[in-house]
Amino acid sequence: MSPQSLARWGSRTRHDLRLLRNEPLLGVGVAAIFALLLLFIAYPLVRVFLVSFFPDGVPTFRLYREFLGSWFIQQAFLNSVVMGILTALGGCLVGFLFAFTLTRTDIPCKSFLTVAAILPVISPPFVSALSIILLFGNNGLITHQILGFQEFAIYGMRGLLLAQVFTFFPVAYLTLRGVLESLGGTLEDAAMNLGATRWRAFTRVTLPLCLPGIASALLVLFIESIADFGNPLILGGSGFPVLSVQVYLQVTGMFDLAGGAALAVILLVPSVLAFLAQRYWVARKQYVTVTGKPTRAVLKVVSPAMQWVLFGTCMAVALFVLLFYATILVGAFSRAWGVDHSITLRNFRYVFGVGAQAITDTLIIAVTSSPLAGLLGMAIAFLVMRRRFPGRRTLEFVSILNFAVPGTVIGIGYILAFNQKPLLLTGTATILIANFLFRYIPVGIQSGMAGLRQIDPAIEEAATNLGASTQTTFRRITLPLLVPAFFSGLVFSFVRAMTAISAAIFLVSADWNLMTVQILSQTEAGRLGAAAAFSVLLILIVLVAIGLIRLVLGQLFDYRYQATFG
Amino acid sequence: MKTRWMVCALVALGVLLAGTAQAQESLVVYSSVDEENAKNLLDAFTKATGVKVRFTFLSSGPAVARIEAEKNNPQADVWFGAPSENHVALKEKGLSQVYVSPNAKELAAKFKDPEGYWTSFYMNPLGFASNLTTLKQKNVEPPTSWADLLKPEFRAQVQTPSPQTSGTGYNMVAALVTIMGEDKAFDYLKKVHPSIQTYTQSGTAPSKAAAIGQAGVAIQFTPAFLQLMAEGYPLKVTFPKEGVGFEAPAISILKGAPRAELAKKLIDWFITIPGQNALTDAKTYFFPVHPKATLMAGLPAFDQIPTINYDAIWAGKEKKRLVDRWINEVLRTAK
Repeated sequence: MSPQSLARWGSRTRHDLRLLRNEPLLGVGVAAIFALLLLFIAYPLVRVFLVSFFPDGVPTFRLYREFLGSWFIQQAFLNSVVMGILTALGGCLVGFLFAFTLTRTDIPCKSFLTVAAILPVISPPFVSALSIILLFGNNGLITHQILGFQEFAIYGMRGLLLAQVFTFFPVAYLTLRGVLESLGGTLEDAAMNLGATRWRAFTRVTLPLCLPGIASALLVLFIESIADFGNPLILGGSGFPVLSVQVYLQVTGMFDLAGGAALAVILLVPSVLAFLAQRYWVARKQYVTVTGKPTRAVLKVVSPAMQWVLFGTCMAVALFVLLFYATILVGAFSRAWGVDHSITLRNFRYVFGVGAQAITDTLIIAVTSSPLAGLLGMAIAFLVMRRRFPGRRTLEFVSILNFAVPGTVIGIGYILAFNQKPLLLTGTATILIANFLFRYIPVGIQSGMAGLRQIDPAIEEAATNLGASTQTTFRRITLPLLVPAFFSGLVFSFVRAMTAISAAIFLVSADWNLMTVQILSQTEAGRLGAAAAFSVLLILIVLVAIGLIRLVLGQLFDYRYQATFG
Repeated sequence: MKTRWMVCALVALGVLLAGTAQAQESLVVYSSVDEENAKNLLDAFTKATGVKVRFTFLSSGPAVARIEAEKNNPQADVWFGAPSENHVALKEKGLSQVYVSPNAKELAAKFKDPEGYWTSFYMNPLGFASNLTTLKQKNVEPPTSWADLLKPEFRAQVQTPSPQTSGTGYNMVAALVTIMGEDKAFDYLKKVHPSIQTYTQSGTAPSKAAAIGQAGVAIQFTPAFLQLMAEGYPLKVTFPKEGVGFEAPAISILKGAPRAELAKKLIDWFITIPGQNALTDAKTYFFPVHPKATLMAGLPAFDQIPTINYDAIWAGKEKKRLVDRWINEVLRTAK
């Protein structure tokens, strides 16, 4: 840093601190959020990093040297990055397709398509991969029985990419739908009134205005895909190693905690780079579309012919989604999934017998963690975008950090950090709640920030000028305007609290168990029907919860945005 | 508006506090035996001894990682299940403690640690399970030897767990090394590579792939095969005549276990004849280790299975080297 820029930075910080002094509550809020993020995100990670640098008690780079020199790890690293990029691009493409079609065209079956676009976000671990194998494997319904392939190699890059795009496109859809909705159609109409063709209006108006949303979605998908290990664990196999799986294996297969931690640090590098690139790319552009002025669009940016092309493509994807869930449903009600499909209820009897406790535990934890995650996410997005205080960027960075780390590492970090007094949390519900809360706020933060980039600060400034404090402005102005983003943050964290397993497996206890762990246990033991029945139950709970969240948000913020919930 | 947020926050706080409340004093078990079997077996233990048990299912990898991370303040008293090799690893990490049960003298030497760190309480042989429908399409009989797997009909039809990730996969490699000698075993593993559809990460994934016809042959320990056959899947279990390894899942008492006295009762009971018969009563498909216990109807007699003299302690010590060799020689030939 040059002396001038240092001086500039110094005076800016002093200025920011002065602003904070005028609003003491804001300062307290910022400090509290910082403290929480440091305790529940930074501190466990620091514990893990320390383990990787002190495997034998003395500081060393031995583990890093070993791994970076291994062809197997190099291959895994490359595979991870390639898979992350392809998943991000593919997922955003499908997500945008759905978001655009549903907000800009007037086609039938909209509510069916909406459900189909959100549904895959609820993919119960292990059972999803089985369902994909039953559809696309050697003996698969689509590959073998419909298309007639003798052998279809589902294990490896191809099968994995299919599964990853399928699992992650709803995240892109949720973000982009929020963006396209707040964008409205007026600007596109204006462009066309001024003589632009439809294509020109789309490429020069719609697409550029969606860029912050697309960039956010790309980032989230890339990071999630390279940190995820559920699908690669089963579909990658040993032939297509990826780093996230290697982290898991190093810890759980070789019993090498330090090695796993070192691999996790290596895995963090591409995620952090992606984060910085996205910052650099988006931060320099200005996109305000919600100005408080009336907007009414007439939906004509899509030509009637194109409308049917979009409809057809979405329908094809939606049918695939339907087939995927139908497969699980069939499994839950059959005697022997994939072989003997005579209907039986014994799987559900079994589930309610063995797993009743896990079901209530999961519900309690998800219901507690997701509203907290949603609110905290919006609060952080608001603070980062709209308020000036020292450490603003750091706050955003730390809050997204947990998302980029494989769950295995977070799980172990949590045990290392919270197994001793005064921070004795192991074996409690609190540790599970904290894990889900802090791991899944980034989606809320990212969609909140994408939404805020489009809302004219003038609206909030008007409130402040009329005497509203920061928290009043946030509650009465910003939050209602952000309801679509809030909705996606809530849904996402709820869904993940119900379905995530990689970190949770280290945190469940005799008193607090989760349905996903039950699914794992049942698949391990060979009771596939019971695992499918657990999954069906889990999907039902999430669907009911999404409905309830929609209802509650509609009641709390009775705004015109009510109409825009998918 | 304001009160509504307050109520929400209070409810959340209440749940958080409720979560931290202490539960009653009972033996805490990390079980690598699956949920249902663990529940039945531990219920039988409670009924017989009056000792209350609370358990959490954790497969062997997460269990060790967790025990290690919790070592400064152990949450559990025992690790229940998972093959004895893993208990060797636990012992070498200094995470378990010695207990020689007075009942252990009935057990063969291979079923207990010479120093008393772990005690096996059941066993399972490794075997092949063939999907009869799939193999009929390929026109090939279920394999009855390791050599059979080299047949071209089995090309990309076999699933086996990866030794890198799964104790089962490593058990297979270590057993082959015992049977053939190290270099010959690696030659075989390289030759059989084209027959392997995928090396699964989990030790029980192959059986499911074979059950639904994704693979023709699965290699793993037998209980899941027998469970899947009972569910109605068209599988047939065979054993390679050259010999197979077996697993002998064990119990270790964790170092610093807060309720070690109760943990000792657990070991004592499971290796008595009533404890061993609980394996049969609970329909676990596990083989007892006590020579006088009852064998479950439908299980092949253990002495009919060509199990080899598998040295779990040697296998535990050689693990890192053999797995690295497998990655560099066998997996790399795939490239």
